[in-house]
Amino acid sequence: MKIKDGFVLREVAGSFIVVAVGDAVKEFNGIVNLNETGAFLWKMLEKGATKEQLIKALLGEYDVDEPTAEKDVSAFMEKLQEAKLVK
Amino acid sequence: MPRYKIADVVFDAELIYGYTAKLCEKYLYSGGDKPEFTAVITQKDIDAEKALDGGEKFPDYYLESLALFRKLCDYVLSFRQGIIFHSSAVAVDGKAYLFTAPSGTGKSTHARLWREMLGNRVVMINDDKPIIRFIDGDFYVYGTPWNGKHRLDTNARAKIAAICEIRRGKVNKIYKISPQEMLMVVMNQTIRPTETEKLDNLFFILDKLLSCVPLYRLECDISEEAAKTSYAEMVENAEIKG
Repeated sequence: MKIKDGFVLREVAGSFIVVAVGDAVKEFNGIVNLNETGAFLWKMLEKGATKEQLIKALLGEYDVDEPTAEKDVSAFMEKLQEAKLVK
Repeated sequence: MPRYKIADVVFDAELIYGYTAKLCEKYLYSGGDKPEFTAVITQKDIDAEKALDGGEKFPDYYLESLALFRKLCDYVLSFRQGIIFHSSAVAVDGKAYLFTAPSGTGKSTHARLWREMLGNRVVMINDDKPIIRFIDGDFYVYGTPWNGKHRLDTNARAKIAAICEIRRGKVNKIYKISPQEMLMVVMNQTIRPTETEKLDNLFFILDKLLSCVPLYRLECDISEEAAKTSYAEMVENAEIKG
């Protein structure tokens, strides 16, 4: 799973938001709000991380057990797929 | 070619229709400052406005005025740390209060209630599309000719004292909201550029704006009571608290 071209993550006024730039605006005109964990996972995805790597990173960064980390990553990836931010 | 000064930006405008010239008349400039840019409106710009959602129902002369507004907003965003903020901006004793909401919610109506309550202490900076600018650490709201259906604007600026989102409600109440909550509101009430650099200018301005200006949400009906509620919290209480 890869983030589509033209989607950027920004931190504005304490919020993490994803918006489209350039031609991607024609496809997606909205704003996606991410929490801190979501932003962390997004940044890893930007670098091309796999699902397994995301889970591992989450386990390393936050105080969670493996089933929870896996559930969180799956939910995150589903959210991105629903919003059509990934290909 | 007419020369204007809007939001403290001096510029020349090459226009096709008299409507826009008439609209901007109050902002004609004959002082000594040099123009910062020239806004040339062509049929292509008008067609671009027409292609936007709902644009086809307006005549070309009106779309020209929107095209000019867009060029001005683009300039202030790129070079003058300014943005359009769709709101009704009223100044009371020189301090500005911005009421924002999607069209049809009642921001103009609420501004009118303040005028009725406060009389000549109120100056209508702009009833629809003011420009706000970040200057030396402070935020100012400027009147523009794009002033909404009641045609209310003043060629003036005032320091912003508070921003208030208006929602309709059965009980009048007002409370502070967080920058995160207001961000989603404001993002829908400004022009969002598609170029990364301009988008980051917008985000820089919003980040500053939402961290240094008090933010409120008012749930209200259309009554004198609603205006009393918002005034008491945003003006009187704010002054007591300093």
